[in-house]
Amino acid sequence: MNPLASKKRASLLLIAPAALLIFFFLVLPYLTIVVMSFRVPGDGTPYAPGFTTGNYLHFFSDSFFLQQTFNTLMIGAICTLVCLVLGFPVAWQLARGNSRLRGIAYGIVLSPLLVGIVIRSYGWTIILGNNGMINRTLISMGLVDRPVGLMYNTLGIVIALSHVFLPFMILPVMAAIQGIDPSLESAARSLGASRATIFRRIILPLSMPGIQAGCILTFVLSLSAYVTPALIGGSKVKTMAVTVVDTLVDTFQWPFGSALALMLAVTGAVIVVIFARMTRMKWKAA
Amino acid sequence: MTEVSIERLTMDYGVHRAVDGISLRIRNGEFISLLGPSGCGKTTTLKVIAGFEHASSGAIRFDGNDVMQVPAEKRDIGMVFQNYALFPHMTVAGNLAFGLEMRKLPKAEMQSRIAKVLEMVQLSSHADRYPNQLSGGQQQRVALARALVIEPKILLLDEPLANLDAKLREEMRVFIREIQRRVGITTVYVTHDQAEAMTMSDRVVVMFGGKIAQMGTPAEIYDQPASVEVAKFVGQVNLLRMKVEAITGDGGMDVSGPFGVIKVKSIEGAAPGRAVTVAVRPEAIDLVSPSEGQAATIASSYYSGSLMDYRARLADGTLIDVQTFPRQRFADGEAVGLSIPADRWWPLEVTA
Ligand SMILES: Nc1ncnc2c1ncn2[C@@H]1O[C@H](COP(=O)(O)OP(=O)(O)O)[C@@H](O)[C@H]1O
Ligand SMILES: [Mg+2]
Repeated sequence: MNPLASKKRASLLLIAPAALLIFFFLVLPYLTIVVMSFRVPGDGTPYAPGFTTGNYLHFFSDSFFLQQTFNTLMIGAICTLVCLVLGFPVAWQLARGNSRLRGIAYGIVLSPLLVGIVIRSYGWTIILGNNGMINRTLISMGLVDRPVGLMYNTLGIVIALSHVFLPFMILPVMAAIQGIDPSLESAARSLGASRATIFRRIILPLSMPGIQAGCILTFVLSLSAYVTPALIGGSKVKTMAVTVVDTLVDTFQWPFGSALALMLAVTGAVIVVIFARMTRMKWKAA
Repeated sequence: MTEVSIERLTMDYGVHRAVDGISLRIRNGEFISLLGPSGCGKTTTLKVIAGFEHASSGAIRFDGNDVMQVPAEKRDIGMVFQNYALFPHMTVAGNLAFGLEMRKLPKAEMQSRIAKVLEMVQLSSHADRYPNQLSGGQQQRVALARALVIEPKILLLDEPLANLDAKLREEMRVFIREIQRRVGITTVYVTHDQAEAMTMSDRVVVMFGGKIAQMGTPAEIYDQPASVEVAKFVGQVNLLRMKVEAITGDGGMDVSGPFGVIKVKSIEGAAPGRAVTVAVRPEAIDLVSPSEGQAATIASSYYSGSLMDYRARLADGTLIDVQTFPRQRFADGEAVGLSIPADRWWPLEVTA
């Protein structure tokens, strides 16, 4: 056998475990869901024999589901924006700040990841509830006389999700900023650029790869988040992920639940692709 | 065209004094090198001139105007960084346009200036390339062009050739110096490479430990070093311990040593009986026949193509480095004579 072919075979062998893993735990389940979404809804059983496009027709003809998809995408987009606005300065400090504070800040940023998502979300119900920390503080300060609704609404979900996914924005943005040579800022200054101009013309475009990665991660994670919106939104406000689980588990409509899940995945993917296109970079890092 | 004057400039990083009270006047269009070992405060001095760091004390004036309170972006300085610091997301033309955009120049003038400078650095055909599509030497030239295109008052360069290979480095020395002459811009050039400083500069400022050790033309620095440290840092040198025999009336003194009694310039603290260190450069020494010069034997030799380095041993065991052109070769162990013109001896310091 020629050496090139044997090299090729060796590399195939090396990627085989990962490929198998991806196939069995990602491709196969997805295919199952796709197939399921075309099955006929059953009566008393999860599904009946035969195939149909009815589940999708149901989705497109019911404004409730369209509205909910839109709401979920909006929540994802707002969370992404909030994480970006809050996360960028933190990422900057982590990348460029003085070294002693950096260790502490790094710990604080990562700490949400160390606590389970269920516990974190319960934490938020304690803070956001009508009798929670925020409302009690506001009332005792006399700023409001009735509790402000922070639970069981979109605002609460956005607040809690932003907290949960903030690290996923900060870490890639920080990595990108660390990759920017500080002497570029000096160079821009010597050429006459103000701080704002340096940020707009140098820092922002050069941290774009990190911003892009961070936005995609937060967006996708907020779309698919279940625990946090389920706990904070309760039965009043539901995101698509919550409805999907309700449909699958509570009402046993496996085919329709699968169709809902796929519609959310597809619209999310389309938005991610458009976003990646829009923020595509013409240059390559050195 | 700008004259720069630096007065008793001091810069502390916390308790560490990086620049220690340096004073310096740079004339219009002059090319000055700050030369010194790593960590001696060259970059810090440059950063203070550029306005990236605030001096702890002292003053900097451009044409008599104090600029200490002027922020870096308003100082009108062209700076070339060691790693070039080109904006990777902008083309060559984009990099050059950046400083002009800050100055809100009309588009047409911008384009003509960029074209002119690009031609000067011989990169006209590379205007649309991104920095990572250029070689190190080309990136270096873009960095120079970007600093010059804004027509700054002063050009500052921080070890701009350190990342280039030896051959290109020598070409770029000439290239940078020629452009500097043509533009006529006041220039401060930082380097730890003495050959670079010597070949490029009108004047060299040698720095040690944040202080100026000596300031002068390359020839002054090389032939009349102010201290043992300077003599050793700038080129190779033989340092010989000699004894002062007499102070002569004409500002000179007679000293005795392995080469007998010789006459050198008198220095501070010299008195009959005191020990002095006297320097002689290896290439000031000629190898002649044993009868014509101070007798010695060749201890070792190193051939480097254009030059020949010998180490010769005197009768009393003193080793002397000699550098000659390899026209006439001497074998190890061969008896030779060392001939040194009287004016090539340079007394440095009184040691005892
Ligand atoms: N930002 C800084 N903080 C603390 N010390 C510094 C800083 N920059 C430089 N120094 C110290 O100041 C001295 C001079 O540094 P520098 O001017 O960079 O030297 P050079 O350019 O001659 O190699 C060095 O001892 C260096 O360690
Ligand atoms: Mg330096």
